[in-house]
Amino acid sequence: MGDLLSNARSKVLDLQCRDADPAADRKALEKLALWAMRYSPTVAVWDEISGADGFFIEVEGSAHLFGGEACLLRNLQQRLQTFGLFPRLAVAGTAGASWAMARFGAAESAIVENGAERSAIESLPVDSLRLTQGARSLLRRLGLRRVSQVIDQPRAPFASRFDAEYLRKLDQALGRQCEPLVPIVPAPLYHAQTQFLEPILSADHVLIAARHLLDRLCSQLADDAVGARVLRLMLFQVDGDVKSLELGLAAASRDPEHMARLIGLRLERLAGAFDTEFGFEAAALHALTVEPFAARQSSLGMGEAGASAESLAGLIDRLQQRLGPGAVRQLHPAMSHVPERAEVAGAVALQELPKEKMSAEMEENLPSAPRPLLLLPRPEAAEVMALIPDGPPRRFRWRGVMHQVTAAEGPERITPQWWERSGELERDYYLVEDSEGRRFWLFRHGHYAADTPPGWFVHGLFP
Amino acid sequence: MRPVLYEVCRSVGRLSSSPPPAVPGSGQNRLAALREAVARIERRGDHSKATILPFGLPELARHLPGGGLATGMLHEVMAASYQDRPSAFGFAFALAASALQSRKGPAFFVSTQHASREFGRPYVHGLRHLGIDPARFVLIQTAKNNDALWALEETLRAEVRPAIVVGALDRQLDLTESRRLNLASSAGSVLLVLLCLAGGQGTNAAGTRWRIGAASSSKDRFGALADWRWHTTLERSRNGRSGHWLLEWTHVAHSLRMAEGVADRTPYAGQASRRAG
Repeated sequence: MGDLLSNARSKVLDLQCRDADPAADRKALEKLALWAMRYSPTVAVWDEISGADGFFIEVEGSAHLFGGEACLLRNLQQRLQTFGLFPRLAVAGTAGASWAMARFGAAESAIVENGAERSAIESLPVDSLRLTQGARSLLRRLGLRRVSQVIDQPRAPFASRFDAEYLRKLDQALGRQCEPLVPIVPAPLYHAQTQFLEPILSADHVLIAARHLLDRLCSQLADDAVGARVLRLMLFQVDGDVKSLELGLAAASRDPEHMARLIGLRLERLAGAFDTEFGFEAAALHALTVEPFAARQSSLGMGEAGASAESLAGLIDRLQQRLGPGAVRQLHPAMSHVPERAEVAGAVALQELPKEKMSAEMEENLPSAPRPLLLLPRPEAAEVMALIPDGPPRRFRWRGVMHQVTAAEGPERITPQWWERSGELERDYYLVEDSEGRRFWLFRHGHYAADTPPGWFVHGLFP
Repeated sequence: MRPVLYEVCRSVGRLSSSPPPAVPGSGQNRLAALREAVARIERRGDHSKATILPFGLPELARHLPGGGLATGMLHEVMAASYQDRPSAFGFAFALAASALQSRKGPAFFVSTQHASREFGRPYVHGLRHLGIDPARFVLIQTAKNNDALWALEETLRAEVRPAIVVGALDRQLDLTESRRLNLASSAGSVLLVLLCLAGGQGTNAAGTRWRIGAASSSKDRFGALADWRWHTTLERSRNGRSGHWLLEWTHVAHSLRMAEGVADRTPYAGQASRRAG
């Protein structure tokens, strides 16, 4: 380590060398960190100062699932070795101490009892404090090489010579100050996880496992009187890959039956994407967003005869999981005179909307002229013959069929919004009826000019 | 179908051999009693109480058992021709508007993306114009017909009890599929209207089948377009009669009515009065 390449080549004859690729290293490390979420939902990858070559796993709450810290370390070591890695592991009460032990400890895996952090790191070099290059060289110049030499030094001279980072790192390693970890995926509020004795392969088995996890998760949710809005199911493959799926619910729920059904519907939709060659060996279920869980009033005109808002939310969830996001929508009027912008398709409003939402201004601006029941995805060009250039159409050809106009209403002039590009033209809308009784909504795009006749478009259909 | 037919034969046989006291001698009453008996047999095994969405039109009520559209069965709406599809949409949504007026619960519209690509999808201001409150209208769009069928069944069987479920498919249903929908709608006692955009003959499982064609709308005294009209053919009506009318959608009352006293009487109107008479 630290040799020049030419020196190294002279020492080892068959040395292979590659350019460093920090981005790929980082990616591989993150993938491994995701895999490590099978041990705990909180996994934080080391930053640059820490070497960017490992990660912290918060095992406080999950070590007992593996039979204690020693068993967990053994399990982790074995699995990492099967991936062809040579891990150095340490468990300690503080992130700093565990980093120091993993980097500079004598053994490949070490366990530091709570409260013994100080004695554990005392004999290590000062590099084990995760300091910046500047702080490390300054300490070396001062002749301070071991942690034991700096640990009891008066703080004031250090504070004036070093930046605040140095004392903070020291305190964090000793547990005098807490160290926030930045997890690779935001830590869930509630979670449940399980390991399988044998890898599972089929979607049915995944569903059974998810059902067990849901039972456990929902009892946690019930204890706190909350319901989940967003769930994440993570499945850990034997070969180190992680598959995860997120479910958004229309309304907070803590009904394991319902959520299991949603997971089933989602797996059905994803059919194939969850195929695995080697099987899944562990699963974790996280509740990412929770809400106070209480019965709600629905706005969809449900009376006492109708079912509750919960059953509506349940139906919408089932539809959405099977049909995909955006399949279930409600249409709302929007503030615009341009017809295609005068509506927004949004999620179904389950809660009673406050009446202010539909402001008086908006109410006033709703179009009073008839609007078509069906609006075409985009206006379609039509060939129009009009008696006078600015008059209503007399005949038009649309989709290859000639229509003889017998009655026309209009024009209703809709001008583009003033902040739009100047290229946008005014539209004159006509409601026309042909000789067969079919009703169309046509518009003339722009004004009549001698050299370029304006275009006509069919924009909607009246019943 | 066979057990029902068998039951009908048996009960008709019983009635003819020993007429119950409820059936007086007059032919009309006897016919009505027989119809009632058939309806009773057909409803057997159906635990939920079917309710009726009335049209409020006596001319139509005479052709429909119960005087309106019954819940718990499939009602098909078809377009008279390809060009008449928007009118068929309009009739189905007019039914939805009436259902929302008289019933609680939301309205669900399930359609395939293909069905709404050709003639567009419902527009919020158009719905409002027709008298449908957008806040009670849920739009479900699926990629495939099979997904739409699944969504229809799921909606019908849910505890939600919608006021009406309208489906739009671009494929002819086979007998099994339509019977499944029939069963699902009777399980929840929900009003189900299916727009069959593919044309064809429709299925035997349908309770009623309507064929809709466009008709020139009525004009007000200034010659402007007033109320929309549709040539409405009731092709099939289980336990009822078929018929043909020129119906008109009144924008003021948001309801259907007979087109009457019109200057431009179409030949259809005469035919309707003859048949109804």
